[in-house]
Amino acid sequence: MADREIDAGIIEACRRGDRDAFRALYESYRDKVYSISLYFFHGNEADAADVTQEVFVKLYAGMESFRGDALFSTWLYRLVRNSCLDGSRGKAARARNLQPEARIARVSAANQEEDLMRGEAARAVQRAVSQLPPKFRLPILLRHFEELSYEEMAATLNCSMGTVASRLSRGHRMLCKLLTPGGRP
Amino acid sequence: MFRRSTHPGEHEKIASSALAHLPMAKAPDAIRTAIEASLDAPKAAAVRVKRPSWRWALLPATILLLYAITWSWYRVHRVRWDVVRVSGSLAPRSESIGAGEWLQTDASSRAEVRVGTIGTVEVEPDTRLRVVTTRPNEHRLLLERGEIAATISAPPKLFFVETRSATAVDLGCQYRMNVDDKGNGLLRVTLGWVSFDWQGRESLVPAGANCRTRAGTGPGTPFFEDAAKDLVAALDDFDFSGGGASALRTILDSARPRDTLTLWHLLARVDVSQRPLVYERMVSFAAPPSGVTRDKVLTLDPQTLKVWKDELAWSW
Repeated sequence: MADREIDAGIIEACRRGDRDAFRALYESYRDKVYSISLYFFHGNEADAADVTQEVFVKLYAGMESFRGDALFSTWLYRLVRNSCLDGSRGKAARARNLQPEARIARVSAANQEEDLMRGEAARAVQRAVSQLPPKFRLPILLRHFEELSYEEMAATLNCSMGTVASRLSRGHRMLCKLLTPGGRP
Repeated sequence: MFRRSTHPGEHEKIASSALAHLPMAKAPDAIRTAIEASLDAPKAAAVRVKRPSWRWALLPATILLLYAITWSWYRVHRVRWDVVRVSGSLAPRSESIGAGEWLQTDASSRAEVRVGTIGTVEVEPDTRLRVVTTRPNEHRLLLERGEIAATISAPPKLFFVETRSATAVDLGCQYRMNVDDKGNGLLRVTLGWVSFDWQGRESLVPAGANCRTRAGTGPGTPFFEDAAKDLVAALDDFDFSGGGASALRTILDSARPRDTLTLWHLLARVDVSQRPLVYERMVSFAAPPSGVTRDKVLTLDPQTLKVWKDELAWSW
């Protein structure tokens, strides 16, 4: 993905405290970070907004310490991973109100019939993704929205490339089963 | 809507084609406003390091070199962290603290230290601490006694708190730590991870878990706050009083799946003859991931233990 590794000049400017550069960086990543968080938290927009905000505030605070010896995206998505896991741990005891359809409805197109079909497919996929255990859900979302390589995902998720491959493979298999009639993971 | 796969390799194709239906969601503008507000908050503004604007002095190479040396010396030795008195009186009364200086609160005073640009440390009453290093790549405190609460937002391994019996290494987190005059204390992690380390003995402590430390022994074995009382008492006995096989039996009997955090650490801390008992108990909760074999675990193969820990950590 061409824009994944953001221009080094922007990062350098961010490190100097340049707020405009930070805004540019935010614009480049905000939808991806928000989307990963949104689908990780079962379509809960408030949780996704919390995580997105937390990630970018931490990013800004730690920017001066970013030494460039790792990919910027690896650092960013490691923050996303930590915030998602911390969030899901903290909220584990809380009963969730799952409303994934609400968001999908707003992103649908104008053509009604096509819109209905597309919306139905999207809702089905989101429900299936929601049912995956977190350790399979997160790699699948990172792969889908950011197309991270196995190596980058391993660095992001703090595990081996073999583990990444295994989680993606098992996650895809579970997803297939969930999406076929009568399917269970 | 989605057809059933018939070949093993087809799962990925079907899943990828299904995921193509999952749209990118647009982040609401309110998030940007909230982030801007957070960055503009007084606390965030105050922790920014004050840099002298000497950049106009771009003269010949020799001057640049002198500047670099001076700047580097300044960063290492002269960067000071703001100290905010929360209540009572502090010793010394200075509003900032630099490397080599002590900060002390009495029974009725509290303070907050702003650790460069990376976070804050709340200093509770009856606490004495010293700033060891204020380098951008190493922020280090010595906690001689008392209690602190640290909130750090930075890449891992930039913030360290030493005590007489262990060093807490921040891995991006929030935690509270107390220690007495002898160096005995307790670490409680509320967000992220902390590595608690002393002379090669390391305990990895995630959010929701605690870890004791004792002078002469170092960090104990971490345990979750909601672990059974029997387990916690037996762990104390095992770590610091030579509880041995009897304590280990109690730990294994009272462990839950989540306590694999504790059991994983015990693998390397029990006698070789007891290690299979710990392994079997862990396996009774969840099958190990592929590549994690009994033999490799029992010989404490570092890569195998890491893979298993990373897998178990999803349930911690």
